[in-house]
Amino acid sequence: MKLLETNVSRRNVLAGLGATAVGIITLTACGGSNSASSSSGAKDFVMTVWGGDPDKAAYQARLDLAKAKYPDYNITLQIIPNKDYAQKVQTMISGGTGPDIMQVAEDANAYSSKNQLLPLDDYISKASLDLSATFGPVAENWKYKDKTYAVPDRAGAMILYYNKGEFEKKGLKAPTADWTWDDLLSTAKELTGDGVFGFGGTEWWPIWMSFAYQNGGQVIDASSGKPSVNTPEVVEALQFCQDLIFKHKVVPSKVDYANMGAGVGGDAAFASGKVMMNSTGFWNIGSLAKQDKITWDVAPVWRGKEKAISAFGSGLAVSRSSKNPADAFKIIQFMTSAEGQQPILQLGQDVPARQDLQKSQDFLKPSWLKGDVNMQVFPDSTPSIFKPPFIPEWNEMQKAITDAMADFWLGKSDAKTTTDDLQKRLDSIVKA
Amino acid sequence: MTTLQQKTPVPAAEPKQGAIPPKLKARPSSMRRKEARFFWLFISPWIIGFVVFLLGPMLASVYLSFTDWDSFTDPNWVGVANYVRLLTEDEVFHKSLWNTFYFAFFSVPLGMAIALWLAALLNKKMRARKIFRTLVYLPHLVPIVAVALIFQMILAPDAGPLNRVLAVFGIDGPAWLFDSEWVKPAIILLSLWQAGGATVLLLAGMKGIPQEFYEAAEIDGASSVRQFWSITFPQLTPIIFFNLIMGIIGAFQVFAQVYILTQGGPDNASQMVVPLLFSEAFRNYHMGYASAISWLLFLIVMALTVVAFVTSRKWVFYETEVKN
Repeated sequence: MKLLETNVSRRNVLAGLGATAVGIITLTACGGSNSASSSSGAKDFVMTVWGGDPDKAAYQARLDLAKAKYPDYNITLQIIPNKDYAQKVQTMISGGTGPDIMQVAEDANAYSSKNQLLPLDDYISKASLDLSATFGPVAENWKYKDKTYAVPDRAGAMILYYNKGEFEKKGLKAPTADWTWDDLLSTAKELTGDGVFGFGGTEWWPIWMSFAYQNGGQVIDASSGKPSVNTPEVVEALQFCQDLIFKHKVVPSKVDYANMGAGVGGDAAFASGKVMMNSTGFWNIGSLAKQDKITWDVAPVWRGKEKAISAFGSGLAVSRSSKNPADAFKIIQFMTSAEGQQPILQLGQDVPARQDLQKSQDFLKPSWLKGDVNMQVFPDSTPSIFKPPFIPEWNEMQKAITDAMADFWLGKSDAKTTTDDLQKRLDSIVKA
Repeated sequence: MTTLQQKTPVPAAEPKQGAIPPKLKARPSSMRRKEARFFWLFISPWIIGFVVFLLGPMLASVYLSFTDWDSFTDPNWVGVANYVRLLTEDEVFHKSLWNTFYFAFFSVPLGMAIALWLAALLNKKMRARKIFRTLVYLPHLVPIVAVALIFQMILAPDAGPLNRVLAVFGIDGPAWLFDSEWVKPAIILLSLWQAGGATVLLLAGMKGIPQEFYEAAEIDGASSVRQFWSITFPQLTPIIFFNLIMGIIGAFQVFAQVYILTQGGPDNASQMVVPLLFSEAFRNYHMGYASAISWLLFLIVMALTVVAFVTSRKWVFYETEVKN
């Protein structure tokens, strides 16, 4: 600290400032390049996926199987933390060291619309694969302008977790796929009281969009490609979602959740018995099976005028930067075969996209899961999955939704006003 | 902040035997050369780092700011369209800019005042002074992610300690992070919690003030308050100035607090320029547009720094300068 003792000369400060000020300009991260050195005759591939250690284990197990089948392929797995995935892949591609195979999800068409993914239709027809028959409606998720850019890999419908102990205590019937909105509401009412809420939340997009699509609405009109959030169908659905929170008070508001603790949402509140029903994805089964505070089970999501359920999943795509796209597709073809997807369910990582695997005993009675959980809800829900609006501007759309709905989810504006505002914002983002 | 002190000429070696050999005459210059070599040796990591990692991308970003570039396909030259849109159309940018100024306007002076106050307190001779000094600096060392989580709890609408304390005084506290009026003060509060970093610099500066000044002032009968404003404060002005400059730059680059605590919400009420820049570049794939934002921000920070430097002549006191 010697130098800082009243001896800070002007020039020194200026020099230091120059260096600091320029720091703000650059945000460019360095895309790591670790292309494995090739042994003679072998072909090298890099595959990027996101996730944590369980995901790494599952993907590596699958790649080991692929390696056994194609000994000439050296496939390097790059696992990237969820939050950094898009940025890292973006940097890799712009730096000329893009992956050969990449996992894609909601923002897949940010890549496909910019010619960063190869259309797979020729490969698919050559291999005579029938994606719709194999994977069900999620095969549609990875199509953009009538071309297929990814093969479905993981796909689990949104399900309804419910507190079985409390249901039995109050003599309520377990939720079914034929529950209407009114059934959901009346049951939630029965379960609400004493600081406990009947249902976990509607603010998350997979939930309110399920309501909207169940009501015949669409966020992006499928035929015109234009935003359509202020249609009567969407408005009615959203109003119902909001009423659950502020009118019927069966769902915790944002403020209620903030009072429960930092970072507490529907999942945590359900596990601690503060919320009696919660709709989310597959991933809570593993952690809930390990606790004994509550007894629980899973059920299919309710229905509206139509059946429509959100799904969580991802596909595998061939990046434009791949030097051997045909071989990269061969790897994907194997990874998405029944044999290649087997580790997903064996290790309890996720729901495999293949319907035959979802119906297999290995999935329905998994060895990693103790106790009796109604895994049948996944294959049962799969046919009702709706095609979500995975537009190229997905991230911008999400931000606009969050922004425009901020007041709505605090109960400060109604569905009609909110969706009119949102429609305007989306119109300026979506270039269809 | 390294300076190479101008070495006083090496004292000439005592002449031993008659005439001074010419070799000796050349010594200062060889010394200087050696010094210059060391200069380049020590500065080179920074220069190499700067040229390779900063200068190149910086120059590239000037060009990119005049293009429409999604970071994948080739950039399209659009002239000044990005800047025009930023300055005339983009409401989110205007909002973020306003928020950033708001944040800087309050957090920088408040932070400096608190740091000075803490330093003055910690400079007092008292028991357990070292422990207090550690405690004051500690928040600066806590990772920002942890800080954000702590503040989510502190700022919770009803259950949070802050609003509970307010309730004791009959004040109905706002829902801080969900309230567009109160989310910026909440982020300022968080930044003030970390004011301890500047305190350390000020404390070091206080240590360097010659004790004779205070002794003389005491003999003249100056009160301790008077001593503070007439001796301590003027002597500290170079450090305060340093804190001001770093504070301005830091405030305009605020990122992690917003990114983790609010994601810019509700409805961009807490969105700041750098998080906006980041999401334009890496979420929305508008790299050219983001480059334009970064250059506007650079110009703003540069302008404010120049203003600070120009006005500093009036209030920053350097010991080496002679004032009339």
